[in-house]
Amino acid sequence: MKQAIYGIILFIFLALPPVVDLAESIMAIHMHAQMPLIGIAGMLMAPYLQQKFPRFFEKWNENGVPGIVLFLIVFIYWVIPRAMDDALASGAVEVFKFFSWAFLIGVPLRLSWPKLTKAWQYIVLLVVAVSYSIMAVLYLFSPDQLCNNYLIVDQRILGWSFLLIVFVIILYILQDLFIDKSAYEAE
Amino acid sequence: MFKLKRQWISLTVVILFGFALFFIGTDGFTAFTEETARTNQLVEEQPSLPQVTLEDTFEREYDFSEFEGKYVLMTFFYSSCSTVCPILEQNVANIYEEVPAKYLGEDIVFLSVSFDPERDTPEVLDKYRTYFGSDGEEWRMARVADEQELDFLLDEFGVIAIPDDEGEFSHNVAFYLVNPDGYLEDVMDFEDVDGATNKVLHALESEG
Repeated sequence: MKQAIYGIILFIFLALPPVVDLAESIMAIHMHAQMPLIGIAGMLMAPYLQQKFPRFFEKWNENGVPGIVLFLIVFIYWVIPRAMDDALASGAVEVFKFFSWAFLIGVPLRLSWPKLTKAWQYIVLLVVAVSYSIMAVLYLFSPDQLCNNYLIVDQRILGWSFLLIVFVIILYILQDLFIDKSAYEAE
Repeated sequence: MFKLKRQWISLTVVILFGFALFFIGTDGFTAFTEETARTNQLVEEQPSLPQVTLEDTFEREYDFSEFEGKYVLMTFFYSSCSTVCPILEQNVANIYEEVPAKYLGEDIVFLSVSFDPERDTPEVLDKYRTYFGSDGEEWRMARVADEQELDFLLDEFGVIAIPDDEGEFSHNVAFYLVNPDGYLEDVMDFEDVDGATNKVLHALESEG
């Protein structure tokens, strides 16, 4: 319950007009800070929603796969260059951005992840890494301005930040595969 | 077994939702950037040219009715641009040279509009046009001095120009073909000179 309140506070804070303006004025902050923070707000609200509607999640997302597929689809939708422009141009898309990042990305991710088998978790991480790599290459090397609302230099910075995240994901997968964690855990 | 079936139902719903989301978000998988969406929409809607006052290199002032009955090949640029505009105007020059002389000024006018009226005074544009072989008549360069009118025109054509710190603008670029009735007929890739030339010639020939 306490977490859900923090989630709601974070969500409202992010939705404050000056915060929105500031976050959206820089492309990389828009993509890699504002949107994920809305997702985190959703993740904080997730356990409360699960308590509130236990049957729903148990029934329809038992193995976590439908939830994680929902997460992946909406997550990938938001890397389309146009989606970001649309969010700036249209109030409806902006509202959908807040709704979808909180409830179609944050919530299903937190509620589905623990239910997934290890193999599925790797698949999800790889899909994210691959799509982010594609976006990194696109933003770093495209001679065209992909988002009408941002400068090419913003686009380059965003490309590097995509690449950085891919690097971190790969690092995580490697350490997960090759480090025997039990060796470091206290008896 | 029954449980597994439910997972498939929810998975199907999720995938259908995803399909709808991508379909709506990309205009039926045709436009993954705003620029494509804008171009597609312009070609589909064919907006008419708004009433704005142009000021050309001979300091003549007129609006778009000046070009009634003629095709207009329009571009938007600013002369202090060091990146894409010189390429854009050079490409206009290439098309300009390909169009037979009998059409020039009669059936088609080339018009390059500056969206930087403060710096692009008629004198500046008059110098700038000579770099590309524009004669100021069949191929005119002009500014829209009134800021409100300029914004209105840029908005109508979906041109977004963002000033950056170095006195440059980041902006989207295209060839705009306006038909003799004053409606925007086509938006063309500014890098595909041959394709645009063919379209222009085709339009002129079919017009008679």
